[in-house]
Amino acid sequence: MPILDTPRAWYKRWLRRRIPPSQSVTLNQRRIFILPTGYGLLFLAVAAALFIGGINYENNLLLTFSFFLASLFNVAIWHTFRNLSGVTLQAGGMREGFAGSAGALEVRLVSHVRHGHTGLWLQWPGSVEREVSVKAKEQQAVWLDVDLPKRGKVFAERLRVETRFPLGLLRAWSSVDLDHWCLAWPRPIESVECPAGGGDDDEGEHSRSEGNEDFDGIRPYVPGDSLRSIHWKSLAREQGLNTKLFSDPSEGRRWLDWDRLQGLDPENKLSRLCWWLLELDRSNNPYGLRLPDTEIPPAIGPEHKQQMLRVLALYGES
Amino acid sequence: MQDVIRQAVTAVSTVVLGKEEQIRLAVSCLLARGHLLIEDLPGMGKTTLAHALARVFSLDYRRVQFTSDMLPADILGVSIFNPQTREFEPKDGPVFTQLLLADEINRATPKTQGALLEAMEERQVTLDGVTRALPEPFFVLATQNPVTQAGTFPLPESQLDRFLMRLSLGYPSAEMELKLLSGSDRRSQAVNLAPVVSREQLMAAQQAVDDIRASRDLIDYIQRLLAHSRSAGIFVAGLSPRAGLGLLRAARAWALTGGRDYVIPEDVQVVLGPVVEHRLQALSGGAVATATQKLLEAVPVVRRQ
Amino acid sequence: MARVYQVPQHAFIWLMTGAVMASLPHFLTGPAWLPLFVITTQVWRILVQRGRLRMPAKITRAVVLVGAVAGTLYTYGTLLGPEAGIVLLVCTFNLKLLEMFKLRDAYVAIVLCYFVIATALLSRQDLLISLYVFAVLGVITAALIGINQPEANIRARQQLKYSLVLVLQAMPLMIFLFFVVPRVPPLWDLPIQKKGAKTGMSDSMAPGEVSSLSRSAALAFRVDFKGEPPPPEERYWRGLTYSWFDGTRWSQAVPNDLPQAEYMAYPGERNRDWYREVQRQQVGKKYNYQIILEPTRRRWLFALVTPFTEQRGIAFARDSRLINADPVRDVLAYRVESFTEMPRGENIPDWEKAFNLRLPEEGNGRTRSLAQRWRTEAGSDEAFIRKALSWFREEEFYYSLEPPLLTGQQIDDFLFRTRTGFCEHYASSFAFMLRSVGIPARIVAGYQGGELNPLGTHLLVRQYDAHAWVEAWLPGKGWQEFDPTAMVAPERVRLGLAAALEAQNDESFATFNDLVGISGLPLLKDFMSALDYAEFQWLKLVVDYDTDAQKGVLQKLLGDVSPMRIALLIGAGLGVVAAAMGLLLFWQSRSVPLNWWEKEYWALYKGLQKKGIPVSDDLGPLALARLATAHSATSQPAAKAWLRLYNDAAYRTAYQDKTTSGVALSSEDRRNRLKLRKFRKEMLRLI
Repeated sequence: MPILDTPRAWYKRWLRRRIPPSQSVTLNQRRIFILPTGYGLLFLAVAAALFIGGINYENNLLLTFSFFLASLFNVAIWHTFRNLSGVTLQAGGMREGFAGSAGALEVRLVSHVRHGHTGLWLQWPGSVEREVSVKAKEQQAVWLDVDLPKRGKVFAERLRVETRFPLGLLRAWSSVDLDHWCLAWPRPIESVECPAGGGDDDEGEHSRSEGNEDFDGIRPYVPGDSLRSIHWKSLAREQGLNTKLFSDPSEGRRWLDWDRLQGLDPENKLSRLCWWLLELDRSNNPYGLRLPDTEIPPAIGPEHKQQMLRVLALYGES
Repeated sequence: MQDVIRQAVTAVSTVVLGKEEQIRLAVSCLLARGHLLIEDLPGMGKTTLAHALARVFSLDYRRVQFTSDMLPADILGVSIFNPQTREFEPKDGPVFTQLLLADEINRATPKTQGALLEAMEERQVTLDGVTRALPEPFFVLATQNPVTQAGTFPLPESQLDRFLMRLSLGYPSAEMELKLLSGSDRRSQAVNLAPVVSREQLMAAQQAVDDIRASRDLIDYIQRLLAHSRSAGIFVAGLSPRAGLGLLRAARAWALTGGRDYVIPEDVQVVLGPVVEHRLQALSGGAVATATQKLLEAVPVVRRQ
Repeated sequence: MARVYQVPQHAFIWLMTGAVMASLPHFLTGPAWLPLFVITTQVWRILVQRGRLRMPAKITRAVVLVGAVAGTLYTYGTLLGPEAGIVLLVCTFNLKLLEMFKLRDAYVAIVLCYFVIATALLSRQDLLISLYVFAVLGVITAALIGINQPEANIRARQQLKYSLVLVLQAMPLMIFLFFVVPRVPPLWDLPIQKKGAKTGMSDSMAPGEVSSLSRSAALAFRVDFKGEPPPPEERYWRGLTYSWFDGTRWSQAVPNDLPQAEYMAYPGERNRDWYREVQRQQVGKKYNYQIILEPTRRRWLFALVTPFTEQRGIAFARDSRLINADPVRDVLAYRVESFTEMPRGENIPDWEKAFNLRLPEEGNGRTRSLAQRWRTEAGSDEAFIRKALSWFREEEFYYSLEPPLLTGQQIDDFLFRTRTGFCEHYASSFAFMLRSVGIPARIVAGYQGGELNPLGTHLLVRQYDAHAWVEAWLPGKGWQEFDPTAMVAPERVRLGLAAALEAQNDESFATFNDLVGISGLPLLKDFMSALDYAEFQWLKLVVDYDTDAQKGVLQKLLGDVSPMRIALLIGAGLGVVAAAMGLLLFWQSRSVPLNWWEKEYWALYKGLQKKGIPVSDDLGPLALARLATAHSATSQPAAKAWLRLYNDAAYRTAYQDKTTSGVALSSEDRRNRLKLRKFRKEMLRLI
């Protein structure tokens, strides 16, 4: 334990004790801090100037005016506090991303009380602020971008919730740890050799084989389809541009295999698997995945891709 | 009405032994106008259940065995050129029935699966630009092998959402197995079952489901379940609004099979697993059933102050 | 270039309304170019918001600012001092509206706006301006709320509503602070000039001057009597005395070499012999009243005869008057105790006697000789005075607002030729006659009469009540009041000027009525008197709430006033306000309350828990009832009944039927609630 502690670290520890991490935090007087803003101080300075003016001119109304400003400031304390109080922040869903880019986390705000919450600003340290208002007894969800520096679970920092409504003279804020994490997929690294073996072993050799054996029909051409899969015959019959559809027999499917990547560190392996996974998905090839502790049978489709990416992202994590 | 439904459940139970709850759920699913997915190993009595349901509810019944070489046309039908009339004539596929047993649906390619699921959702089929409505009632009972089996195409999540419930019959208990072994062939028994519910009665019961009361308190409970599924980090993605509507509909139907004209929280709790588990993925990678259980435990039935 | 901050449309409405409203009062006091300046900048600002114009460039803004400074310098000759300062403030504030590039600028503009409207209170403090300022506060606060609400789809009305809530909630603490925060004496002196010097008494008087005063209906002062006010003919409000006469003009004067201590005594200096003597002779009827004097920019105060006051800064003058330490620039309230008889000055100092006997060496011979003849005939001063007064009553003298001009020997001309005059003519000639026969005499200027406000006990004394009369010193009796005008026109004293003019059939009566606007609609008159009453109370209670009044309030609250107790009171007040706000907050932050059946569920839940039965909150009512039955079969009937009732309440009702809160329970609900409670208790008892 460090004897000399930076105030920042001390503050963090204190905050952790005061507002422990939880997936659902209701803001109350224990968790809300409030201080005047610069404008609040300017406002008080105007009140003070008017007070001195009132005294010097022996002007009761000027004095009353300065009392009014002070009083309004006092009312603003309560209203600003109230605006934040009673809102429940909940960790919501996540949108994964590749390591090195950004993902997003959802924060849900639920009002359990009889008053609404106007102009709440949510922010992770160092990221873009988002403004949200919640009506009484309703809920709102906000997606906040979060940087993903490394693969795996990336835990979000404390979320700062702040409001200056109604008068902007005071800032009420809280800093909550929603125990919230975002999944970072491995950063894809291109590699020439596909670390995959199919039913036929030699399939693994050619890296980007079309490998589509069974002609299954045609469908209208969609921009982006490979030129090689265009059904030229139908074009010749003046039926327009069509794309050939193939269905793979189960034997032609590929297994992306961890063990085929030798002599690389695990992160690098995952990155290469990831790149190939995306590549195979793009070229509509069914693929499976073999990791030391998991095996996912080959399939194709967006859900399958998601699942595979998730498995890669969580590899080695508890 | 309730008596008829109870008799139907009892009748089906005489062929599908010891699965009272699953049968009641399956009937509820039928009453709620939902489609049913049964996930089981082969030979667990899925076909028998389908047969029995069809008989008891006096429904037309067709069975389609899905294979990987199946094309959409094999299910939906095709237009055939008639040399006599020199016109294309539609030839209906097996989907034009009241109860379709789609056996081992995950053996078919995603495309074929998709064709069926679209028909299920829209309750109509479009062939060569001609749209034709499917019969009323229309009920699909699909069976699926556990995904880990080789040679299967797992149903994508978006498609799974179209099934109101997913059930698993499971192995019978020892006692029931004994009874099963000593009795005659279940499937032929099922074919010989006497109809209990007429088509009109079924339609009326489906209508009645919509009239089952769901109080504000109950809807509030469902809403809290949905909200919690979305927020608590148990699942990869929370329950969709469609899932919520399905949950309410299933709970209503379950209440009806229980002889009540209003829904209580226990109805929701019973149908929650079958209705939501196939739509969710546990975030921690564990079993969805455990996560669903966690969800139930985390949400109080009655609001706390 | 960074994106220019755009004030949200809903806030902009309030910002501009607030800006116009805050600038408006300064149009009345500021220079003529100020409205032009303000309107130009604001129209510009509106065009900018509409996208028709751009914000002016830096150089343009600088030029305009320099222009405003030059204009101020031209108008006031200085940039220092409150008047010039306020004009500069209004200008810079309006310019700030054209310099709104960031949210920060909007904040600064709004805070400045508070300042601008506050300065309006420097020149006026009446009820009207106070209400106006209050309204402006509501608008400015709405603008402040608006710029903190960035959403676009908000109705501006909501902000005003919220702003009024805030303003009203700020009131209690403001009022509390107003009453208890100690009034500190001025830190430094900052005189402020006010425009529109009003008509009023001046420190000298020549024929025709008081009558010109009488053409104004402006308020001179208000009087609030504790108890019954004196009858009209006794309402002589003395303001100042004129002792010096130069042949035409009477002036206020004291001998040059006389030390101030000889004729003025402030509250701390009351041990002087002459003052003590005055104080000893408090005779006659006592009146206790408070006067709220409109600004006069003079030092003298008005009061009934022999006025005493303990108010700080007000001196008692030897000629039985009250004098303020400084010219009265703002409305001034002072409390007076008056004794209706003049102090019986047995001795009059020589200087005073000599001073009040002085006459020019020559002039007005006819008057002098007439007076001296009467004095010899009368034999005593008293008899002479009676003779002179009866002469005024019996001869053909006329009372008029428009007397003919006097020429030559003015007093002779009046007494023997024109014989038509206003009070100053009669007072002047009567005092002249007295002096010419050796009776010390002086002229008193002030007001006579006053109209009782029908709503309150207070009197309104207006400029047209201005009056002049005479005081003469008689041995053994001291100074005595004589009003020759009352001899000519008795209605003047009893019924007021209008009645007197009417009785005299004076043609100026019609003009006077037009001027003063007396003949109004009765309804309007009622309204005006109600307004006046409110104004009067406002001035009395708020504007002139001073250290003394505060002492009174604090004494009532605390008993004994000490700094410690005041501090405690302020602390307690703040505590009460904090507690009240906290309570309000707590009240509004309550969760949506549970229904009676939901409470019942939790009661059973806790009941079972107490019995040691493990329960969890994912068990529905049915499960709870089953649990109870499982532990004790005998509780089954109660459990069944409880469950039935519970389901009826919570689940059997359709979604639309019942809302969760805010609906009063029906009698059926209440019965069911009781039954539910009964079954629960029975169930728990049996376990």
